[in-house]
Amino acid sequence: MSEKNSERARRAPSRTMLRRTLFLLSVCGIAAFAVLILRLGKLQIVDHERYEQAAVEQQLRGAPISAARGTIYDRDGRILAMSASVDTIYLSPAEIAQAGEDPEAIADGLAEILGVDRERILQRAQNTSSWYEVVARKVEPEVAEQVRLFKEEGGYTGIKIEADTKRYYPYGSLAAHVIGFVGTDNTGLGGIEARYDEALAGEAGYALRTTTAAGTELLYTNFEDYVDAADGENVTLTIDAQIQYFVEKHLAQAIEDYDIQDGAAAICMEVDTGAILSMVSLGSFDLNDYQSISPEAMAEIDATAASEEERAELISAEQQRQWRNKAISDTYEPGSTFKIITLAMALEEGAASGSSSYYCGGAVNVIGRGTPVRCWKSGGHGSQTLTQAVQHSCNVAFVNIGLSVGEERFYDYAEAFGFIERTGDSSAQLTARTGIDLGGESGSIWWSEDVFCNPENFSQLAAASFGQTFNITPLQLVTAVSACVNGGYLMQPHLVESITDAAGNVISEADNTPLRQVISGETSRQVCEILEQVVGDPNDGTGRNAAVAGYRIGGKTGTSTKTTEEIAGNKEYIVSFIGVAPADDPEIALLVLLDNPSSESGVYISGGQMAAPVVGKMLADILPSMGIEPDYTAEELEAMDRAVPDLTGMSLADARYALSQAGLSSRVVGSGETVSSQLPAANSVIASGSEVIIYAGSEPAAGAVSLPDLRGMSYSEARDALALYGLFLNTDSSVTDAAGQAVSAQDISPGTEIERGGVVTVTLVDADDSMLGEY
Amino acid sequence: MEYAGTRLARDEERAPARRAAFDAPFAALTLLLLTIGVVMVLSASYARAYFSASTGHNAAYYFIRQLGFAAAGTAAMFILSRFPMSFYARMSFPVLAASVVLLALVPVIGVSQGDAKRWIDLGFTTFQPSEIAKIAVILYFAALICRFRARMRTFRYGILPFAAVLLLIVGLLVLEPHFSAAIIIIAIGAVMLFLGGARLYWFIGGGALLLGALAVVMAFFPYASNRIASWLDPFSNTQGVGYQIIQSLYAIGSGGLFGLGLGHGRQKYLYLPEEHNDFIFAVVCEELGFVGAVAILLLFALLIIRGYYLAMHMRDRFSFLVTAGITTLLAIQVILNVAVVTNLAPCTGISLPFFSYGGTALMIQLGEMGIILSASREIPAKT
Repeated sequence: MSEKNSERARRAPSRTMLRRTLFLLSVCGIAAFAVLILRLGKLQIVDHERYEQAAVEQQLRGAPISAARGTIYDRDGRILAMSASVDTIYLSPAEIAQAGEDPEAIADGLAEILGVDRERILQRAQNTSSWYEVVARKVEPEVAEQVRLFKEEGGYTGIKIEADTKRYYPYGSLAAHVIGFVGTDNTGLGGIEARYDEALAGEAGYALRTTTAAGTELLYTNFEDYVDAADGENVTLTIDAQIQYFVEKHLAQAIEDYDIQDGAAAICMEVDTGAILSMVSLGSFDLNDYQSISPEAMAEIDATAASEEERAELISAEQQRQWRNKAISDTYEPGSTFKIITLAMALEEGAASGSSSYYCGGAVNVIGRGTPVRCWKSGGHGSQTLTQAVQHSCNVAFVNIGLSVGEERFYDYAEAFGFIERTGDSSAQLTARTGIDLGGESGSIWWSEDVFCNPENFSQLAAASFGQTFNITPLQLVTAVSACVNGGYLMQPHLVESITDAAGNVISEADNTPLRQVISGETSRQVCEILEQVVGDPNDGTGRNAAVAGYRIGGKTGTSTKTTEEIAGNKEYIVSFIGVAPADDPEIALLVLLDNPSSESGVYISGGQMAAPVVGKMLADILPSMGIEPDYTAEELEAMDRAVPDLTGMSLADARYALSQAGLSSRVVGSGETVSSQLPAANSVIASGSEVIIYAGSEPAAGAVSLPDLRGMSYSEARDALALYGLFLNTDSSVTDAAGQAVSAQDISPGTEIERGGVVTVTLVDADDSMLGEY
Repeated sequence: MEYAGTRLARDEERAPARRAAFDAPFAALTLLLLTIGVVMVLSASYARAYFSASTGHNAAYYFIRQLGFAAAGTAAMFILSRFPMSFYARMSFPVLAASVVLLALVPVIGVSQGDAKRWIDLGFTTFQPSEIAKIAVILYFAALICRFRARMRTFRYGILPFAAVLLLIVGLLVLEPHFSAAIIIIAIGAVMLFLGGARLYWFIGGGALLLGALAVVMAFFPYASNRIASWLDPFSNTQGVGYQIIQSLYAIGSGGLFGLGLGHGRQKYLYLPEEHNDFIFAVVCEELGFVGAVAILLLFALLIIRGYYLAMHMRDRFSFLVTAGITTLLAIQVILNVAVVTNLAPCTGISLPFFSYGGTALMIQLGEMGIILSASREIPAKT
């Protein structure tokens, strides 16, 4: 046993071995694990939040959910600006590489669908370190659907489609300066879009989710947080798209007719509320393509630019010009249209009345002024009543009216009408803005109180009385004139009627309480009466070219020289006309301003010859559209253009009878019994007394004729001249005196080849010698 | 213990020549850890497997394979437990020779992964000969120590032959290069000598030599010094090695006390590299939290303590040395792996036994457990 024991002891581990094992056990089995557990405690409990936050930060990816931008409506609910869903197509080149997809095939497919350069797509697809390479922005849904199909068929995970919105302007360039536009990030960059950006934009939401390092979704575990977007609010404008259309149409025609060099502006205001029904600045631009400049401007730049940089600069300048809202951003010397204001303050102050009389000898001396102030009519107007002084737009009379108001009171009224704002510093030049809810409004420029109210020098007061030597915006004039005719209340001009949320709840509405009463209701009524005489009086009224058959129109002409250009030795004019209608109880005021007409247009440069007919044509369209019914006199009915009845198939006798009933004469060609054809076509509108050609058994001979120059002819002369060519005439002006009114412009240029039976539309003006002058 | 005891008593009654039953607690702990490990491979790997084209987007790809290796490994464990320890003593030199040959073959027929050539392709899987080398060193050193006995205290017998074997194997490993395996083999060799009764001051000298070698390695292999820098401040290099450490810390830290729940980890979604291999413990920490991670570490600790406990009860030195050696090898791997994952040690490729994905390594580890079980059968019932 002992031998066996000793043998066993010899083989058994020694004491040293066991001691050393015990040491290893305590180190490897206990101590080391204690250290590891402490370390885990530090990481998982003490530093838990720090690491968790860092991990979550890299795992979470947020995707913004864009809020639908609000719609912009006109006052009748027509959509002026709206957002629609589009898609942005982008590539994730990293995923393309990861999934081993063929960038060439992707580039081929996308290039074909999107019409984007294949090489550009390929270049992006091969930038494999990137996760986001945009191929095309704001792609229409139909095209995006094609991309979706292509992506599915090819199984391309690297092609991504992202929802976005695009702004659409259904009316294109209509009211472009008012509506404004948005940039690629859907932020408003001009007009209402910019001014009301916050309300329109709404608030973007976001979707937050955990993702893999590749940005894709986790398989089973997902944390998601979703905050819905708050859609933008809808803005209803005071703009009436119908009126805006009429105004833009006639203003654009005027630019062409009179060869206007520096653009034109027009504002139509609802006088009782200050609501802007129409605001136009031309040349304009298409809101759906706001970067593009007009082809003519482009051609000119291409012709003049010497280098690429100069070209880019010129294009940029032209863009700035076309985006500029002349109606509120440009100031000008209003000229004679301002006489309405002088008239109103004089009547209110009792400095003038219906029984006042004024003598004009052609010029008047003013204290402090070296040379006498000349009237536009060199011989003078002689003795005039107050109404005649306004009808004649007599400068001499108005200097006297202004002097009788007095410099202090005149300055007070300038402030009351919103042309200036006193600052307390009587030596400072003053300015004011209307505060309309649109960006880019400029302020007026007026003499300081010290200069204007100098008892030893009335030259500023004298010039101001007929609207010269200070600058205001067209909007300021319309606002002040509206106050003169609406019962005396100065209203806040505004463009936004109401703001509603997506559910249709009204959030805010225009406040139509007057800012202040400037003149009395009685004074306002007197002003209206006198203004109606300016347009309505066929003998003395200098504004008679703005007359509209069937309506009572009031108004005032304006022809101002640009003082800055005059100092530089150039003679440049701004011609304007402000009309109010109906004159017995005005609802709207409409100002048209044409900046720098060309002297080569053949039309005498003055507000009465150029701007007044434009206002007349606009009102003739606007007033019926507002539901204001015309009330024609017998003469007006007699002089009006006629619609041609449909004669085809009638017997000759019936046809002749129908035409005579319509106030048209006739001539028969052919020997048949019934009417086989007619010139002009049925429903054409042509001048009263025109000769309609009836074809009996024969057809009109085809063939074009060269249009003669009708300008300068009277309306009836022009009608007869055209009849010789088998052409017909009509007018969008009102015919008050077919033998007296002269053609000042024709819609088709002389020399143009037109088919026989064609109808030419002309503008009519009363261009008596007595009507020609800078008033 | 009572269970084992009764089994032993019964066996001895029936046939005194037959060996006792293996140690059930050790086997149970091993199988428990293996089960948890295989489940964690599923949780950790399915995202990578799903998103990867090489697995055919099969989320269960790694899990199925690991399950097969675990089954084969368990079978190997029980089969190896049936061989007597004398068999392993006889096999010690052939195994060492075979592992040296395989290591020498690696540069010739091995396959590369990354910059290193450490694997031999077997067709259905690849394996690292270094895994065999580890157990070969333990077996051969144990056999040699038994032969030299008292002469272990001399330099000529106690150090020189061992150092020669180690130098040969480590030399081959450095060629691959495979520093983590080299370090583990040096460590396990040292532990065997330590257990075998070598004089303690030799370890002081050996330690100094090792530090010198380390300095040389640092100087000549820039990637090693890079690793050290990333270890000291992982956030200094968030793109390279630091990225792995940072992602591991994010995973561990976001686990908190109770974890995100099994299967609910997020870092495995392609953020954390090597999530089902060397860094699987980070996923464990993220999903099971501090509580789960500590429980698993305690299971490992229990297994290791049980291993040393069994070693101390061995009746012969060879069994003792082999059991203590394998236990220490297991301990070194677990401790180093967790230390790397928690950034207590510089980043190096050491897998976590029973957890990390890897077929041959798992099978060899289970085989090693089988050898301990075999040794445990030679412990006689308490008298």
